[in-house]
Amino acid sequence: MMKSMITVAALFAASTAAAQDYRFEEGSNARSWNLFAESNATFSGTVVDLTCEITGDCAENCGDGVRQLGILRDFDGVLVNVQKNDQALFTGGVEELLPFCGQQVDVDGLLLTDEDLGAVNMYLVQFIRPHGTEEWTVAKAWTDNWEAAHPEWAGSGRWYRRSGDIRELLDTTGYFGLGQERDAEIKAELFAE
Amino acid sequence: MRLPVLAAAAFAALPAAPALAASEGERITVTGEFIDTWCYFSGVMGGPDAVVGTAHHTCAMWCSAGGIPVGLLTPEGEIYMVLKIEGDDNNTGGDTILSLASSTITADGIYYERDGLNYIVVEEIVEDMGIVNENHLDFGTVPGFAIPPAER
Repeated sequence: MMKSMITVAALFAASTAAAQDYRFEEGSNARSWNLFAESNATFSGTVVDLTCEITGDCAENCGDGVRQLGILRDFDGVLVNVQKNDQALFTGGVEELLPFCGQQVDVDGLLLTDEDLGAVNMYLVQFIRPHGTEEWTVAKAWTDNWEAAHPEWAGSGRWYRRSGDIRELLDTTGYFGLGQERDAEIKAELFAE
Repeated sequence: MRLPVLAAAAFAALPAAPALAASEGERITVTGEFIDTWCYFSGVMGGPDAVVGTAHHTCAMWCSAGGIPVGLLTPEGEIYMVLKIEGDDNNTGGDTILSLASSTITADGIYYERDGLNYIVVEEIVEDMGIVNENHLDFGTVPGFAIPPAER
């Protein structure tokens, strides 16, 4: 009887600890993005190809940048979905993680947890380094990598204004996605003086 | 008799044990809108009704091209993170996923759950309804700078 009660108490303690994201806050130097659902989190884990990890369909070098990546967290085995890097420029996290495909890393950033929306184990990475090393790399490589990969779209202004892929879609479907004719009508309606 | 009840409650409160390897999926048919999951989950640009549809279409393209994960949002509010579409595994800004931004589709595919998130491999787009969520009159453009002043 006593053994059972101890087991129950241990289970309660484990479940409470597991439900609280602040267990990863200690030691974090992440910068707030002032998001409702954010909490600082630094942890270690292995960089994985999400499609491979979830479905078993694997690719060389985690997909070489065309597949979403995640971090298999050492602490609890949870697969953390890395959504963002640390640039407020509509940029994901893959470029930051890819150099560490299959490797153990330390990361620092923001976890998103919003039960109402179903956000759990989602992450914005701000700093990354090989596990156990001293020097952090700031997770802002996306735009430099994009510029290097697309010299044909070089110029001034944000990348998303210069992307030929996006310009091509905008030229066809417009800003609202409904075609140029509807786009003109909607703009006239929304922006009429 | 209370102990088994407590024990059951304790087990129920525990998070699901993490899967340690790829798992079997489950075939499903699901209808939903391709959304930019960062804006949706983070609330960085407003509530969930504002970061979908025509109002958010341009931003959805930016985020998709920028490699932010894309999800399928069902009318019930479930989100399935998209891993592949009809054999195309480029889910970091590839042509297929970019061209479907804000579109509502019915998909036949394989569903997986991992650590609280839903994932889907879309095997076939059964129907592509295009962009049906016209919410621009409610929200304008989200973000407000989506259309440069010179193009308004």
